[in-house]
Amino acid sequence: MHIYEAKLLGALKGGSAGSLEELERSLGIGRDSILWAMENLSKQGAIKIDKRKEYAVSLTDEGSRDLSGFPEEELAASLLKSGRKADIKSIKDGIGLMWAKKNGWVTVSGDSAALTKEGESAASGSKPYALKETLKQIASGAGAVAGYVTSHDQQFDSLIRRKLITLRERQAISGISITDTGIRMLGSAPQDDGLISSMSREVIIGRKWETQKFKAYDPNEASEPVYPARLHPMHELINHVRSVWLNMGFIEVSGPIIESAFWNFDALFSPQDHPTRDMHDTFFLSNPSQIDIGDIALLGRVRSMHRKGWGEPWREGLAKKALLRTHTTSVSAHYIKKLSNELESSYPIKIFSVGKVFRNESIDYKHVAELYQTDGIIIGNNLTLANLKDVLTRFYSKLGLKPLFKPSYFPFVEPGLEAYYYDEQHKSFIELAGGGIIRKEIAKAMGTSKSILAWGIGVDRLMFNFLELNSLIDMYKNEVDWLRKRAELKI
Amino acid sequence: MAVVTFSLKDFAANGISKDSLVDAIPRIGMEVEALSGEEIAIDITPNRPDLLDFTGLVRALKLFSGKTAPKDKEYVLQHEPEIEITVTKNVAKIRPYIAGLAAKGIDLSGERLKYLINFTEKLGDTYGRRRAKFSMGVYDLDSIKGRLTYDASADGRFVPLGLSGEMSFSEIVERHPKGVAYGGAISRDRARRAMMPFLSDGEKILALIPITNSESTKATTETRNIFIDITGTSRNTVMQVANLIACSMVDSGADVYPCRIKYRDAEVVSPELAPREIKIRGIRISKTLGVSIDGNQAISLANRAGYFSAKYGDSILVYVPPYRLDVLNDQDVIEDLAISYGYENISPVPVVGFSDGLAEDLREFTDSAALHMLGIGFSEALNTYLTNERVNFDNMLRPYRKDDVVGIAYSKTENITMLRTSILPGLLKSLGYSAHERMPQRLFESGSVFRMDKSRLIESSHLAFVSEHSKAYFSEAKGAVISMLGHLGIENYEIKAFSDPAFIEGRCAQVIAQGKQVAVFGELHPAVLSNFGLEEPVISAEITLIDKIEYNI
Repeated sequence: MHIYEAKLLGALKGGSAGSLEELERSLGIGRDSILWAMENLSKQGAIKIDKRKEYAVSLTDEGSRDLSGFPEEELAASLLKSGRKADIKSIKDGIGLMWAKKNGWVTVSGDSAALTKEGESAASGSKPYALKETLKQIASGAGAVAGYVTSHDQQFDSLIRRKLITLRERQAISGISITDTGIRMLGSAPQDDGLISSMSREVIIGRKWETQKFKAYDPNEASEPVYPARLHPMHELINHVRSVWLNMGFIEVSGPIIESAFWNFDALFSPQDHPTRDMHDTFFLSNPSQIDIGDIALLGRVRSMHRKGWGEPWREGLAKKALLRTHTTSVSAHYIKKLSNELESSYPIKIFSVGKVFRNESIDYKHVAELYQTDGIIIGNNLTLANLKDVLTRFYSKLGLKPLFKPSYFPFVEPGLEAYYYDEQHKSFIELAGGGIIRKEIAKAMGTSKSILAWGIGVDRLMFNFLELNSLIDMYKNEVDWLRKRAELKI
Repeated sequence: MAVVTFSLKDFAANGISKDSLVDAIPRIGMEVEALSGEEIAIDITPNRPDLLDFTGLVRALKLFSGKTAPKDKEYVLQHEPEIEITVTKNVAKIRPYIAGLAAKGIDLSGERLKYLINFTEKLGDTYGRRRAKFSMGVYDLDSIKGRLTYDASADGRFVPLGLSGEMSFSEIVERHPKGVAYGGAISRDRARRAMMPFLSDGEKILALIPITNSESTKATTETRNIFIDITGTSRNTVMQVANLIACSMVDSGADVYPCRIKYRDAEVVSPELAPREIKIRGIRISKTLGVSIDGNQAISLANRAGYFSAKYGDSILVYVPPYRLDVLNDQDVIEDLAISYGYENISPVPVVGFSDGLAEDLREFTDSAALHMLGIGFSEALNTYLTNERVNFDNMLRPYRKDDVVGIAYSKTENITMLRTSILPGLLKSLGYSAHERMPQRLFESGSVFRMDKSRLIESSHLAFVSEHSKAYFSEAKGAVISMLGHLGIENYEIKAFSDPAFIEGRCAQVIAQGKQVAVFGELHPAVLSNFGLEEPVISAEITLIDKIEYNI
């Protein structure tokens, strides 16, 4: 047993520790060493480590302002002054009114707001406002240990919802205790027996080994675990996907994530009033707010494609809006244009890209705003739906999946298809990819008469097939312990 | 996508069993969203508004299974217009177009009325862009007296559907649930919303458009004759939707009567139900599917997709039924033939022609830098590009200048406001999650960062690393940076003391090569560490791999 391990067990035998800080003080050894010893001992079942979530709480600007008085308090006070009644239209502060109503301080009938008994006692200060008391406590740091609290109650949640405070979460150790195994191990701690314990320069050049015996080690004793430095699992998966495309003879390309709506939508025949072009689905930018398209002739061709296809006017202003690309198909669009004039002998041309795409989502355990996608195109002569099925079947077979195919709709392809597979474990069909043959209007607008196969594949989803994960969000927290100890991808 | 829900019983009444339904829905390109003992919810793709309609869906399924076949002149006008709608100049700037039709002898009993209303609402919400582009109303035809006028006014009064008392237009827009939901659809332009479109028959107001109909014209399950109006901002669209509805009425067994629409400068009849034909070369079909298909087979596939068709030399001629709003040209028809053929029946065929795979230089370059970092003991983290000024600037004690960052105009998530200008804050956030794990903790990340230089957008490739432990000193950072410079082949560089508020003054340096800063490193300031909830010393560096990424597009 290492000396630090023995020290730690010894200290714990006298009583459990509540925190790392406590152990640091009582043992007089550094945190790194304690954490190392703890890890070894917990692996052997000698100690038990309890963890919990902790939260650092801080006031937002609005929260700091409200310390002097909540809007609902100010409203109640002003109502008290103005004879307990007011015309609702004269109340400018909607938030104050909403909360005053919620608290039962004010009742509203028709256009008139009236102060209740409860409201009166709140306004006169005879009864302290619980929410403000909680905010004050937080501001004073009461209830927090080293800046962290361990739980948050309803009042806290209200304050969070009102954006008066923010929480930052971390994993923390809440208790360390010795187990029966640990107590047994402590009983068999080392004593000095005249044997050579450690190899050293002294032992070698002083030829001590000729006269003294080496102390035998227990090969089952704890050793310091070694963790390799590793790539992030998403990077590993992306590299795997890339190697599949490369082995299939595809050329890798990339393009900007900041795009004009033109390349993300218009060039791909997405109608200008399509719901995905709404700011609620797509991240539009405030700076830069516009991106010039440059190629006037191309602009004209895309304009006439839209007018003819959708029978609606087409506005250049909407096409110039700057956004974060919603799919890597924008890269494919650029390359269809760029490769529109190649030597006949160079076809078929096979291109792929992998990159980030963005969706304006409300982030929770199921939804993230940034995802990875891989897109591909093949430009050639007489390319068919049968060819596309072959490409996607080959790609997925290298990932151990057997795709099925059904018709689907995307504005830029005709015919369009969706690849999916049956998930035995969850007994459900899971979408894998969308694709099809690029509409000839688009090919023509980009300057080519070739046939073009195109597809887009969500990469993040695939991760669930190769690594046990609860949610995508967990993967991007980059918890060091998880990065060190996670399983290998099962591809 | 739009989800519609129907009772399985109603499909059974049309000879479609639950099993055949569940089998056919994906094969026609739609998706079963949910299935219970009694109901099925189906996700309909936006190109097929005709399938939002129960009648339309039954029609498509029967055709697909071969139970019925399309007939010649199945959907044509059989009657002269009986209804006249005069359009005033008041609607010209708000919602200028209207189409309409009457359907006599319709059966709305059972679920039929509900299905019809759901269809018109779903159609208005999706294809009609939440009623801004077009919307529809269904009325009891027999309650309408006299000639109709499509007009707009600042105000008016009537009893809205489902209520008993009169409300004014402005009350409806402000307080009625449909008014609150769809008031904005009157016009994008707030000023123009002062005039609100309505339909009247001279005696009374039939509807405030596109919000609600009047109670007095309400259709019930007993109603046998109905009137439907379609109003909107695109003449083409309202006429097409009238066609779509008319086909549904014909298939429901009703007699369709068109309307005469009198604009100030023109007169039109809706629905038009004009015949449309598309010629498709046989070779195009085989060349698109990758399966050899002859003329007779093409005709039978076309029939199952609802196209009445005939051979025409080497081609086939298909008649596009007026309910198909998505068919632009032969490609769209060929997809339908492929659907009839069955995607599962198309055998994969390899693409002919050799090509070399080639990895991208940019990616190879950053990947080799990543491998170098693994070699010196740093694990890789991946953070999001989206961040906010609090994490990116405030926590780092670095000044925030709005004009210098790529800003997001609107985000549903509060803490997303910009793209990161530095990789370091993300890494510190990651360390913050792992404060009680074993030290040392060493992480790196490479990827893009973004900035605005005056009005020029610049994307750079950076690599940053952090090392947290009790003996994390300046020299560790310097050693790692120098090893990376060696990997990058940068030999002539100069290391200078540097001042960056994120680092401790006097323990920060920059690396200059060829007159440009290529790295900043040092010991992070304790205030920065506290901001990220870190309690041990951290050293770090941020290295510029590529100052300005130029895409080869």
